[in-house]
Amino acid sequence: MSANKGGAGRTSAPTDQSTVPIRLRPAKESDLPALVPLLLRLKRLNEEFDPLLKVREDAEQQARQILKSDIPNPKSVVLVAEGTGADRDKVVGFVRANVRERPFYAPVDEGVILDIYLLPLYRRRGVGEHVLAETSAALKAKGAGIVTAEFPAQNEIASRFYTKRGFRPIIAIQARSL
Amino acid sequence: MARSAVPPAASHRPSRRKAAPAAPAAERSEEQTDQLGERSVELSRYFGGKIETVPKVPVSSLADFALWYTPGVAAVSRAIQADPDRAFELTGRWNTIAIVTDGSRVLGLGEIGPEAALPVMEGKALLFKVLGGVDAIPVPIRTRSPDEFISTVEAMAPAFGGINLEDIASPKCFGILERLAKRLPIPVWHDDQLGTAAATVAGLLNALELTHRSVREVRTVLLGAGAANLVTARLLLALGHSPQKLTLVDQKGILHAERDDLDELELRNPWKYRIALTTNGGGRTGDLMAAVKGADVLLAASTPNPDTVRPEHVRAMAKGPIVFALANPVPEIWPEVARSAGAAVVATGRSDFPNQVNNSLIFPAVFRGVLDARARAIPDEVVLAAAKELARGAKRKGLTTEHLLPTMEEPEVFPEIAAAVGDTAVRLGIARRKLSHDEFLERARTLMGRPAQLVRALARARLTPPMPRAGPRRRRPR
Repeated sequence: MSANKGGAGRTSAPTDQSTVPIRLRPAKESDLPALVPLLLRLKRLNEEFDPLLKVREDAEQQARQILKSDIPNPKSVVLVAEGTGADRDKVVGFVRANVRERPFYAPVDEGVILDIYLLPLYRRRGVGEHVLAETSAALKAKGAGIVTAEFPAQNEIASRFYTKRGFRPIIAIQARSL
Repeated sequence: MARSAVPPAASHRPSRRKAAPAAPAAERSEEQTDQLGERSVELSRYFGGKIETVPKVPVSSLADFALWYTPGVAAVSRAIQADPDRAFELTGRWNTIAIVTDGSRVLGLGEIGPEAALPVMEGKALLFKVLGGVDAIPVPIRTRSPDEFISTVEAMAPAFGGINLEDIASPKCFGILERLAKRLPIPVWHDDQLGTAAATVAGLLNALELTHRSVREVRTVLLGAGAANLVTARLLLALGHSPQKLTLVDQKGILHAERDDLDELELRNPWKYRIALTTNGGGRTGDLMAAVKGADVLLAASTPNPDTVRPEHVRAMAKGPIVFALANPVPEIWPEVARSAGAAVVATGRSDFPNQVNNSLIFPAVFRGVLDARARAIPDEVVLAAAKELARGAKRKGLTTEHLLPTMEEPEVFPEIAAAVGDTAVRLGIARRKLSHDEFLERARTLMGRPAQLVRALARARLTPPMPRAGPRRRRPR
């Protein structure tokens, strides 16, 4: 299990794209140098929530490999958030999601939001809302009939964010060391 | 931070970091501190602590207790039951505060626990009485979480007209102060945040005036992002300092919105996180040197080590910069070193250099003011009013680069601060009792002057024994 949402704001205002200080576009392989550090920031944030989410030594290579294979994968959605105005063309965040098949449940295709990260200055003001809406639309376009989000159980900010937007817990993952 | 009327060496264990070679003052201070420490233990044993309660009413016979206690007192209780605010009139609540600590960050000693914090709280209570005429009760408590601390203080609040939080670790001190201030109908103060910040701002306002600068235009670097500097930053912003021109620096370098510990800060220290998002315009990154380039003001409240700020840092600043090196007992840079590197005005936390930025210039007067107004809170406007009045007070004897702030030897300033605090509480609508400026001033003069008379009278009557001679076995070997 990986995953979640790093601090995307606590807004409940409906998305008005003209005021959202980011622009989303599909990721390209050339975005990797900008995306890897952001994905690592997210995993390090997860580590703050639980020692069982301790970040591996080789996390950076892992991040590069996973992003590299997800970006061209038709079953994945990787969107890059760029700033606007003076921050145009600056990568300020990203989202990564996969469509996977549920063998026992319907709807069969589940769009899983695995990672959302936005730099602190690009949170709130409807940014998280906007990212979630765009990602959900992209997952739906790939056939997903349900959207889920994975994040550390202790991340109350993420929990509140999704709950406010109609999500509810459907599967729990509990863990202990062996 | 400076925090006492006595030389700071007495209240702070010296740093065991390497001493600067050109710093005899540091060695002197260490030696002096050891001597003072021994003497302090000796005297604490001799006097059995530092404060006691004393009746404030005549008691000529046990019959008087029919008035002071039962049955007479029942009517007083009923009156307060009918109107709880009458407790401020019919009991000592109007002048009584609690000094509450969990012992989590006592002086420079760290987490020493509530019992070990008691002598420090007694010392603070003594300062409150002698300087402010305030009856302060030391209450170190054993709590395991901020929630428990808050509910304990809330439970004891009915006995007090104010709460002084003391020696609580950062960043939990921010949440505790914020939440208690919101819940309690009486003023809550945390000296390590508000007292130090207010004294710093007062000194800075005068330093700016001396160097013909305006708070709205200067570029300021705050070194250290603990309790004091985070509040100093907030107060400066409230005074109109541009957030763009404010830069905080901590052990990890410049605090900026894209630093890789920001997510952790959002969880663990949202106060610092918010400052990180709003300050440091232009997105400077790097170390102290990168921060101070061209800055007008450096306010250091960090670690007691004279190498923290180096002459080249001062030289990199704007012409004639202002440097406050407030770590105790050893400032981040020695004043003479800062001056020879070009600093126009230098302040420290020590009483043996000019321009001591000292909490004791603020907290007794602030409490005198809020207690006399029976205020419900101490908002930042009140803190700023105290800071501005302290700054004004320095001008009475003439503002110079060596006299930036009043010293503890200029007590006539304190009632003025108390009155400014009272006035502000009235103006903000948080005063239960609305006196005029002159009434606040007169009352503060009387109440702040009384303890000195009391101490003298007790000594004359030999009710307080004179100071015993210092440890004869050690001092006069035979």
